[in-house]
Amino acid sequence: MEALPAALVGAVKLSLKLILIIVPMVTIFEVLRYLPVFRRAGNLVEPAMRGVGLTRDAAVPLFTGIFLGIAYGAGIIIRVAQQKGLPARELFLMGLFLATCHSVVEDILIFVVIGGNGFVILGVRLLLAALLTGLMARLWKPA
Amino acid sequence: MAGEDPVPDIPTRIRTGLSAGLRTSWKMIVVSVPLYVGVTLLKGTPVLDLLGRAFAPWMGIFGLPGEAAFAFVAAFVLNLYAAIAVMVPLQMDSFQVTQCGLMMGIAHNLIVEGGVLSTTGTRGWVLTLCRVALAVAAGLLLRGLYFLWGLV
Repeated sequence: MEALPAALVGAVKLSLKLILIIVPMVTIFEVLRYLPVFRRAGNLVEPAMRGVGLTRDAAVPLFTGIFLGIAYGAGIIIRVAQQKGLPARELFLMGLFLATCHSVVEDILIFVVIGGNGFVILGVRLLLAALLTGLMARLWKPA
Repeated sequence: MAGEDPVPDIPTRIRTGLSAGLRTSWKMIVVSVPLYVGVTLLKGTPVLDLLGRAFAPWMGIFGLPGEAAFAFVAAFVLNLYAAIAVMVPLQMDSFQVTQCGLMMGIAHNLIVEGGVLSTTGTRGWVLTLCRVALAVAAGLLLRGLYFLWGLV
């Protein structure tokens, strides 16, 4: 069990990282979310989001997840879900979209570095996410 | 619809943000730390090696060498950096790296992220199964596309 101390140190690091990223992110979101620019950006993405069964309430957590990844996206998702009372259907659809397509910058770049084709990876992931979430949204009708 | 409620002043918003952020972080720490410790301890056991051996014969379906299975186990259980460390010595071609990037990008760090997903109030294990199924589907799709265009 000599691995246990290392695991615990890693666990403390992970916790600190979560706090250091999530607390500022949620605070910035809280300060900025009343700005009109947020609403305008919401108007812009709303038609695309409706296609996959999501409303504009899900826009901020969805885009956070797409760019920053599931772990940090979840911080915003938890916050918005309890604040706006996102329904289970929307949470699931958002989760499904993010399952296929998240952290697209970092996760794709590290494979580009070792010789992968980033456009192909991004294209297939976006396509699959949109198709699948759109399909699920049509199968699972809003209550 | 939204936005009709009164707008709190900046200090109130900062306070709300800090306390909500801390509460959210705590919620995620409680779930992810035990999973993280479990996964790290698992690394010291032969379990990962055995999983890799079990999956190796299936890698050909995706146009990948059998050794890629060990990279997939590293990606699924640990994270992408662990997977890359396994991949680099395998000297894969551009298609194979792209294939790994696509499939692993969809499904990685499944244990810890599965826990995190469930804290959002949705069924984490269902989404985790979806991720593995999607990775397989995406891999078959990409192989099919490259095959159609005569690239592989």
